[in-house]
Amino acid sequence: MDYDPITLQVLWSRLISVVDEAAAALVRTSFSTVLRESNDFACVLLDAQGNALAQSSISIPSFIRTLPRTVKHFMRYFPPETLRPGDVLLTNDPWLGTGHLPDISISKPIFRNGKLVAFSGSSGHLPDIGGKIRSPDPRELFEEGLRIMPCKMMEQGKLNEFLFFMIRNNVRVPDMVVGDFMAHVAAANTLESRLLALMDEYSIEDLTPLAQEIYQRSQRVMEESIQQKLRPGVYRHEVHADGASEEEPIIIRCAVTVGEKNIAIDFDGTTPQVSKALNVVPTYTYAYTAYGIKCLLCPDIPNNEGVFVPVEVTAPEGSILNPRFPASVGARALTGHLLPEAVMGALAPLLPEAVLAPSSSPMWGMNLTGFNKNNQKFAGLFFLNGGMGAGAHHDGNHATSFPSNLSNTPVEVMENLFPIRIEQKAIRPDTGGAGKFRGGCGQRVDVRLVSPYPMTVGFMADRTKYPGAGLQGAQPGARGSLLINGKEISPKDQLRAEPGTLFTLNTPGGAGFGDPAERDAALAERDVREGYVTPGRAKEAHRAPSRRKGPQSQ
Amino acid sequence: MTKPSDKAYRLAVDIGGTFTDLVVIDETGRQVWSDKVLTTPDDPARGVLHGLSRLMAAHGFQGGDLANVIHATTLVTNAIIERKGAVTGFITTKGFQDILHIGREIRYDLYDMAIDLPPPLVPRHLVREVEERVDNEGNVVAPVSEDEVRRAAAELAAEGAEAISIGFLHSFMRPAHEERAEAIVRQDHPQVALSVSSRVAPEIREFERFSTTVANAYVQPLMQRYLAKLSTQLQEMGVESDLHLMLSNGGIASVNTVRDFPVRLVESGPAAGVLAATFFGSLAGLNNIIAFDMGGTTAKICLVNDGQPGVTYTFEVARARRFKRGSGLPVKVSALDLIEIGAGGGSIARVDSMGLLQVGPESSGASPGPACYSLGGTHATVTDSDLLLGYVNPAYFLGGEMPLDVEAAKKAVDGVATRLGLDGLRTAWGIHDLVNENMASAMRIHIAEKGQDPRKYTLVATGGAGPVHAYHVAAKLNMRRVVCPRSAGVASSLGLLVAPPKMDLVRAYPARLDELDWEYLAQVYREMEEELRARLAEVGVKTEEVELVRVADMRYVGQGHEVHVRLPDGPLSKASLGPIMERFQAVYQTIFGRVTPGVRVEGINWRLFAQGKARPLPPLGGIGPASSKQKDAALKGTRAVYFPEYQGYHTTPVYDRYRLPPSVVYAGPAVVEERESTTVVGPSGKFHADATGNLVIELG
Repeated sequence: MDYDPITLQVLWSRLISVVDEAAAALVRTSFSTVLRESNDFACVLLDAQGNALAQSSISIPSFIRTLPRTVKHFMRYFPPETLRPGDVLLTNDPWLGTGHLPDISISKPIFRNGKLVAFSGSSGHLPDIGGKIRSPDPRELFEEGLRIMPCKMMEQGKLNEFLFFMIRNNVRVPDMVVGDFMAHVAAANTLESRLLALMDEYSIEDLTPLAQEIYQRSQRVMEESIQQKLRPGVYRHEVHADGASEEEPIIIRCAVTVGEKNIAIDFDGTTPQVSKALNVVPTYTYAYTAYGIKCLLCPDIPNNEGVFVPVEVTAPEGSILNPRFPASVGARALTGHLLPEAVMGALAPLLPEAVLAPSSSPMWGMNLTGFNKNNQKFAGLFFLNGGMGAGAHHDGNHATSFPSNLSNTPVEVMENLFPIRIEQKAIRPDTGGAGKFRGGCGQRVDVRLVSPYPMTVGFMADRTKYPGAGLQGAQPGARGSLLINGKEISPKDQLRAEPGTLFTLNTPGGAGFGDPAERDAALAERDVREGYVTPGRAKEAHRAPSRRKGPQSQ
Repeated sequence: MTKPSDKAYRLAVDIGGTFTDLVVIDETGRQVWSDKVLTTPDDPARGVLHGLSRLMAAHGFQGGDLANVIHATTLVTNAIIERKGAVTGFITTKGFQDILHIGREIRYDLYDMAIDLPPPLVPRHLVREVEERVDNEGNVVAPVSEDEVRRAAAELAAEGAEAISIGFLHSFMRPAHEERAEAIVRQDHPQVALSVSSRVAPEIREFERFSTTVANAYVQPLMQRYLAKLSTQLQEMGVESDLHLMLSNGGIASVNTVRDFPVRLVESGPAAGVLAATFFGSLAGLNNIIAFDMGGTTAKICLVNDGQPGVTYTFEVARARRFKRGSGLPVKVSALDLIEIGAGGGSIARVDSMGLLQVGPESSGASPGPACYSLGGTHATVTDSDLLLGYVNPAYFLGGEMPLDVEAAKKAVDGVATRLGLDGLRTAWGIHDLVNENMASAMRIHIAEKGQDPRKYTLVATGGAGPVHAYHVAAKLNMRRVVCPRSAGVASSLGLLVAPPKMDLVRAYPARLDELDWEYLAQVYREMEEELRARLAEVGVKTEEVELVRVADMRYVGQGHEVHVRLPDGPLSKASLGPIMERFQAVYQTIFGRVTPGVRVEGINWRLFAQGKARPLPPLGGIGPASSKQKDAALKGTRAVYFPEYQGYHTTPVYDRYRLPPSVVYAGPAVVEERESTTVVGPSGKFHADATGNLVIELG
């Protein structure tokens, strides 16, 4: 069956709304704060071959193209002819799923008149998966929690009781964790019933022709965009980050090969896998690399398989972007969040108008466990962000999540959840890289431990040594730092802290764009008036004519 | 206070961005009169007085005959959107001057790297920190430094601040620090408008609370001036009754309340429209409705269950991108839970980079408007398609006041058709169908979020384009019935006249139910009740008429979304725990289809709603000739109208709504014309006019 462009748009809108409806069910019934408040989840509708037709609109980039691959793995373990209505498939294996254990991926085969017509898919972050608290500390996957290889969590509608008995006894908050599994099932059931109603209404027997049409059109837009906006050639860039320790900085080496209608990104020469949880499995490497490409080339097209057909991503096996089992991967974001910057850095000469100067990425986080004054156990995690990089026509936003989209936790909520007092949360002036357009400033958060008992604290933090470099003559953002009672420490170690300890988290600034001497006087004046730049620094940064180029970090 | 019962006339005024609508009801004569004048943004009171004098002159009543005057306005929203409020300062806890400027740290659009986040209403240089700190349990960690407050206020005043807002951490647990600071500022700067967070929005989450407080302060001076002026001028026209205003929650309140909490007016106008739809639904005996108002630029949708419109407690104003959730400034006030979609008669059809059709959210607005208006618009719009499909009569648009140009519409739609490689008619239907799909999708997701099923609702359609699209939208949602109220043009203002006096307060007290201090909670409720009774007394509600409802925002410990649970009436004590848990589980089950036994439950915010009785409207008669049973009397003729069921044009009867005899059932397909709109009924629908003037369509 052929679809004209109007029917196609109506059906596709409807499919996206079906998926968004399933997403609404998932978000509202989930216990995981990260899933809900930071949209750390995805719902996807896939055709009977496991290709994604429509993805929930608000998911963060981590899930670009992961579910189609997971569902294809499911089909390897459970060939389609063995699937029955009411089956629900499950895994959290990082290599088959989304890249770390706390994300589960669930899929339900959908049957119509006895024929397999589609799969529902959803991935999302659980409140807990056992193992060590989330930090870069673990050396092997086995320390990071319970790993579930592909299995049927439900068989013809019947729950696999033994599996859940196992799960319940391996996690810290079993009721919530099991509740979240059921939230995914609710989402799958919503998707199933809405899809079947739609197929009845429009008498659609087979989704594949519709899927093909959507893929082809999406693919064509990506291809045209490559042809129109890029030039064939090989473009390289390097990003340096703190990495696992003083001795092991991370170097992301990226070669973007632009062909006539395709792009191949290769990470040859990138740091080998490390014995901290900073390793990134290939699906996650793909997701954040492709995210950078999509932002640059076709930001408006809804996510589906076709968009990404022309984009190939490879990394050498054994590297930090393609680690061998059983590498630990829990803090994969610290490495993966650098990938959009690597891609944009490489394509900056071709797309100076579109790229963003390096942001403070990756996200920062603080993890706390222990006992409060009433001797109750607590465990939790909160995020905070630094400045975004500037662009060719705009300043970077202060303290804003990029490339992920993780919100902060309100101070009042944190103080209710954990025995801590936040003594300060403030923008750090002078931390946005100077430029014709200024990078966004980082922030300072002071956390005082007020429990009478010591607690275990871990961090996710980077760019304390290597700030992001400015583009086109701009300055880099300021580096971040982590202090314990005023003394700088390495952010990668988990530690036990005494009552009264004060931690200071200084998130990095974003890099600037363009020569600081060309900055508009009114903008420079506003920065000083609003306190984002101190008067002394302003004079120094915008002294014209600037003979200095921004110091390069690489 | 006047005795309303002596007076026979009631006035409703709705100031919108373009027009100010006025409706007068003569209770004795059971007459409804309306007028529309241009809004006068420089001095909105002028437009109101102008419209009122016209109505008085036309219908021969005096200011003194008005029993009450109820007013809705978009002034507050517009002041925030256009950044025309007061120079506002903000005083906060030491260490936290950047809460407003840091916000939530997220982006509302993932793929737009040049994203504009909405700037706070207070610039950073007008924020001052003072020494003070309260912990999460309300204990004082550091007392307020009175000297620092004094200095901060002096500096802000010197910077020209006309309004000062005060927001301290955890102030909802211990308002004393904010109150002390407020007293100091008031003493030193009696002319400055003051808003404090523990009264404006005493909820947990500092960014949202401070944002609301600052917005309140920002619009306060402007609203105070406006209200003083309007009250005085109404008095000069002989109006003796008090002026009442419509709040965002659909309740009416006194001028005094609005002066304290102007931010509660952010959705004043749209709330009236929902109340009108609810009212007309109730006339048809329908309590579960979807209020659907489709105008030129947007469609607004609100779910009404058991006659009660949905309420939300978080709202966004001044979105950087109009239809994008998260792109506005958060405002924590109770408001009717409306969703707004970029779908209206003026929505523009275009072909995107994938070669697919898109409709909206860009709109040609009223000017230049759709191509068929002949006002210079060349884009194909929804109205152009509706015209080509035969739904809209080119000679009877706005009752014939504005002839439409069919050729211009055809040319515009053909342009889109060429780019799609399709014919003009297919494209016209595609535009109509796609804008319907966009609205239906938004409704589906909204309904899913509430755990409800579209099939239990009736669609109540208002606005110029609402009745044109309602039938096909309802069909997409499998809804069985559509109601089109009479006189869509003034329906919204009638909503003001059926609104009850109503106000609510909230106090955050986050606590696990098994550890709750019930005496403290009872005290919190006593304080809120006292304030609400006083506020309702200002709008003439006798204390014995006040209905009180207590609602708690509750969740399982560890969740971030709360559900709203009505608490049992009567005294609160430890014995309430069991009944409250049962109610929580029942609500949870309804919304999510399951409960999670074994996980403890906590209460976060505690709300009290107080409501008086709305003064009833006199019964409205039907609008058709009551005596006639002649079906054909209403037939104006036939014309070619497109329906997908016929895969083309079909010769379709056209009826005059004003001549439809009551309760006589007609079969679709049909088009029913009235001055302000046209109702389209598909081939499998049946319709009739009911005794109260509603047009009721049953879908086959």
